[in-house]
Amino acid sequence: MHYFLLYIDPGSGSYLVQMIIAGVLAALFYFKNMWLRIKSFFSKSKKSDPPNDSSNG
Amino acid sequence: MAEYQRHPASFRDPSGFVFFANGKYYRQVNQSYAKNFELLVSSGLYSNLISQKFLVPHEVIDRNFGLSDDWYKTLLPQQLSFISYPYEWCFDELKDAALLTLSIMRTSIDHGMVLKDATSFNIQFDKGRPVFIDSLSFEVYDRTKPWIAYRQFCECFLFPLLLGHYLQTDMQKLLTVYSDGIPVNIASKLLPIRSRLSLSVWLHVLLQNSVGKKADTKQTATRFTKEKLIRLIDHLQSSIKRLHIKSSGRTTWNNYYDETILSNQYLEQKEIIFRELMSDVDVENALDLGCNNGYFSKIIAEHQVPVVAVDFDGPSINHFYLSEKNKLPSAILPLCIDLTNPSPAIGIHNDERSTFLERAKSDLVIALAIVHHLVLSKNIPMADVALMLANLTRKALIVEFVPLSDPKSQQLIENKTEYHKPYDANAFELCFSDYFEMERKEIIPQTDRILYRMKRKQ
Repeated sequence: MHYFLLYIDPGSGSYLVQMIIAGVLAALFYFKNMWLRIKSFFSKSKKSDPPNDSSNG
Repeated sequence: MAEYQRHPASFRDPSGFVFFANGKYYRQVNQSYAKNFELLVSSGLYSNLISQKFLVPHEVIDRNFGLSDDWYKTLLPQQLSFISYPYEWCFDELKDAALLTLSIMRTSIDHGMVLKDATSFNIQFDKGRPVFIDSLSFEVYDRTKPWIAYRQFCECFLFPLLLGHYLQTDMQKLLTVYSDGIPVNIASKLLPIRSRLSLSVWLHVLLQNSVGKKADTKQTATRFTKEKLIRLIDHLQSSIKRLHIKSSGRTTWNNYYDETILSNQYLEQKEIIFRELMSDVDVENALDLGCNNGYFSKIIAEHQVPVVAVDFDGPSINHFYLSEKNKLPSAILPLCIDLTNPSPAIGIHNDERSTFLERAKSDLVIALAIVHHLVLSKNIPMADVALMLANLTRKALIVEFVPLSDPKSQQLIENKTEYHKPYDANAFELCFSDYFEMERKEIIPQTDRILYRMKRKQ
């Protein structure tokens, strides 16, 4: 395995890793944004309509 | 003919090299780097980095010292008082160096450049803060490419920091063996299983370990973007900011002065005598051996003298570094050094990184309450301790002798049947008189401990 690594340019192996990492981070960023939007949507509706919430309890 | 010598560690980068001439360090910029060098200045990146104190400033000199065919420019960087290496830093020094590298990378991207090198040897500490020293590490940013120095950054910074964080122990010493950085396969084997719950470990260690081995031939097929690169750098930055080593953990040493049975009164008396011994010392730099929490380094620093403060106890040095960080600029550089095994000469020809003892020679050396540890616990003969201190001292030495009658010495020999004898003040003075002239000798009141000030014989 070490012999194999010797023939890889230091940058080349890491290019593919960075592609995948960038993909994962982009996906996480997307879901985080979506989650924040959902959260803010519900918190807005909560604020605008508090009596309904308490009557449900 | 001016004295001209190429630096033994400056050979990797074809863009230029560091050389020593007329008592100063210079950097030659080669013609092959001309375009990048011009962009560094014209893009405003150089002035931005200087204004943030991220990069060591230089002056452009129009002189081809070595009469090199490839010469483009000569730079005279601001000279540094001490060169330290990553395997001598504490956890937070390495962490700050890593964060500086990422901040520089982030600023560079905004100016259309990137760091092509991310080795920790490109960072030095100046007045208590990390500073980037290699002005030839910048290159034009190709927006379609990921970060060429990503793997190097991980190996030199991220992996040792992750190991320190998850194992809660100093792992920087591993960088003496793996001076190009800890390989990903080693890091992934050393990290504990619970670390796998962390996204940064999963992405940068485990994924890199399995994917990074494959030479990827399709790298040109998919394009990287600036947005992706920034996200990667930001993620590395936030991951590293979260890493820490507990400084509250009590080691034998990091509460030495707080808990010692001799306590406050001893320290007060010792400080009075120390200040008096320091008062008429004329020195340009100092070395504090066994500095612990840096109590006496701080007194030397009050005299505007730069101090290299060393101790083998990582948590003490880390604690000391963090406390100094709150009051920048600091004249003190705390380093993790074991005097019984100081940093060796390593790298090509064993000449790339010099030994600690070669670099650490100082006008003033202080060695307070360490001689008994070296002789009684480490079994180093008194004559060798004297020789070591003599090799480090240019002008003056302030040294404390802790006799056998002292409770701390008794504690050290408690379980020992043998130790180097005779261990007393006479033997101590005899060994040191080979190299030093005794100038002052003061007994610390209410103890049998003696503080000496000695002058190095020329």
